[in-house]
Amino acid sequence: MTIAAPTVIIEPKRRRRLDLNASLVVGLVLTVGFLAVALVSFVWLPSNPNIPVIKNRMLPPFLPDHWLGTDGLGRDIIAQLMVGARTSILVGAGGASIALILGTITGLVAAAYGKIADETISRGADIMLSIPGMVTALVLAATMGSGALTTILALSAFFTPSFTRVIRAAALGVLQEDFITSAKLYGRGKLFILARHVIPNIGGVMIVQFTLYFAAGILTEAGLSYLGVGVTRPSISWGMMLNEAQQTVGISSPLAIWPGLAIVFVVLGLNLLGDGLRDVLDPKLKRRSA
Amino acid sequence: MAIYVLRKLAFFVGAVFVASLAIFLLIRAAGGNVAAIVLGKDATAEAINALAHTYGLDKPLPVQYFDWLFGMLQGQLGQSFRTKEFVADLVTDRLSISIPLALSGLILGLIIAIPVGTYAARNVGKPSGAVLALLSQIGIAVPVFWAGILLSVLFGVRLGWLPTGGWIDWSESPIGAIRSLVLPVLSLGLIMGSVLIRYVRSAVLDVMNQDYVRTARAVGMTRTQALLSVGLRNAALPIVTIVGLQIAELIGGTVIIEMVFSLPGLSRMILANVAAREVIVVQSTVMLIIIFVIFVNFVVDLLYGILDPRIRNAA
Repeated sequence: MTIAAPTVIIEPKRRRRLDLNASLVVGLVLTVGFLAVALVSFVWLPSNPNIPVIKNRMLPPFLPDHWLGTDGLGRDIIAQLMVGARTSILVGAGGASIALILGTITGLVAAAYGKIADETISRGADIMLSIPGMVTALVLAATMGSGALTTILALSAFFTPSFTRVIRAAALGVLQEDFITSAKLYGRGKLFILARHVIPNIGGVMIVQFTLYFAAGILTEAGLSYLGVGVTRPSISWGMMLNEAQQTVGISSPLAIWPGLAIVFVVLGLNLLGDGLRDVLDPKLKRRSA
Repeated sequence: MAIYVLRKLAFFVGAVFVASLAIFLLIRAAGGNVAAIVLGKDATAEAINALAHTYGLDKPLPVQYFDWLFGMLQGQLGQSFRTKEFVADLVTDRLSISIPLALSGLILGLIIAIPVGTYAARNVGKPSGAVLALLSQIGIAVPVFWAGILLSVLFGVRLGWLPTGGWIDWSESPIGAIRSLVLPVLSLGLIMGSVLIRYVRSAVLDVMNQDYVRTARAVGMTRTQALLSVGLRNAALPIVTIVGLQIAELIGGTVIIEMVFSLPGLSRMILANVAAREVIVVQSTVMLIIIFVIFVNFVVDLLYGILDPRIRNAA
């Protein structure tokens, strides 16, 4: 009995740790693969993804020259997917990066600079969170003109308030620690404490949040480009490819499969990576979701 | 409780005000002489000025903003420059598509998420729980419009059971209307469901570890009885909140699904009017949607305060 009891306790624990690693490893593999494809696209492409080749229209997949076939204008699918990966990174990571910078500034100010600053910033973030992003992005794209830059700006505007909230909460936690009190007693200024003690301690939260919103950015960009108000040619987006697949050939086509699969793999990879990183970087945080 | 309600009410009013300012600036920032664009190249200067004067477009921007805001407060949403149709009529016409779509999508999402999420929470650590968690992760990664495209390929093109797009109005054929809504609702519901499963799962997990569940178990209830009698009622609180927060998400999904299935709902009307530079129509319609979302969140906050005394006393 005395021997059996501990093994019963240890067993589920060990299995769970294995689960966490699986999430991290699978996420990392998918994400690195995605980044590698985008990098390779700069030095090598099977063919020009924007030049129509009429004699090659609608080739089926699994040909030696066109592994996944061609679209209604004879453009290679693989080449388009590879360039599309660049767009996803540019827009997704771009939007998440701006949101990370703005969210860190506002979150830290809210956490460290008194009740008035906190109330103003927190309520402002609440208000922004209650505005439906997709509708506003439509209007924004239509008034400012569509394009990668507009999409990045729209994404960062919608993402910033969630970054503000998360970073504020994390910073508040750190600011209650004893070493902050000693730094204050030592005579350190607020800015120094934030830069030297708070930011390094909330780095894990920031990385996790960035990863998850990188994924959300890719999904939103695909949606906007699908609607025709995101990225336009000569840039290529997976969402745009899905729109073209639906328009040019009816929708009974393998063309509608590949870009969707690409989105699912990449978003799934980033989400798994984010969840895995959360467990590794922030062991104190209770694991709430899958 | 009164203080709690007042706080939430103040937030509601503030949010509507800030949002209206943001929308107005966003739409007007594009600039240009709206009246000239609306009337086209051949319009005379007099005609342009007359139109601008009729709709107050020649007034300074702050005056236009307050005219619009107070107009809305009195229920006057404005009218289209070209067709002279009232925004209120334009919107109500489209709601017979958008509301059934969004509402059924949400309900389907909940019908999927509540049992599946509860099951996943009860089987945490077991293979079945892990499989469900993975499935919900995959569902979250699927763009709602791709789900729509795949469903219309399968049920519309391959099997030919349902239309791949288009709309038959309720007045023409209620069954036709429902048939055109089945695939859009299914796409929306499946994706909403995947997102909600995670929240339901973590809410039920939280509740399962609470003392009152242990007490219920101690007095002789089975795990299922305890979960049903005290667990779900307590888990309902966070789920209600999440549904409130997901309303914005739901509207985003509805917008895009209307485009996938060429349904002439609100989003198509907004896009068409953006293209035509019908600034008043766009402003008012977008604002109505935003007010709706903020209002739902306000009601959810109130409900939450009523249901859970800890919340209203903390606030």
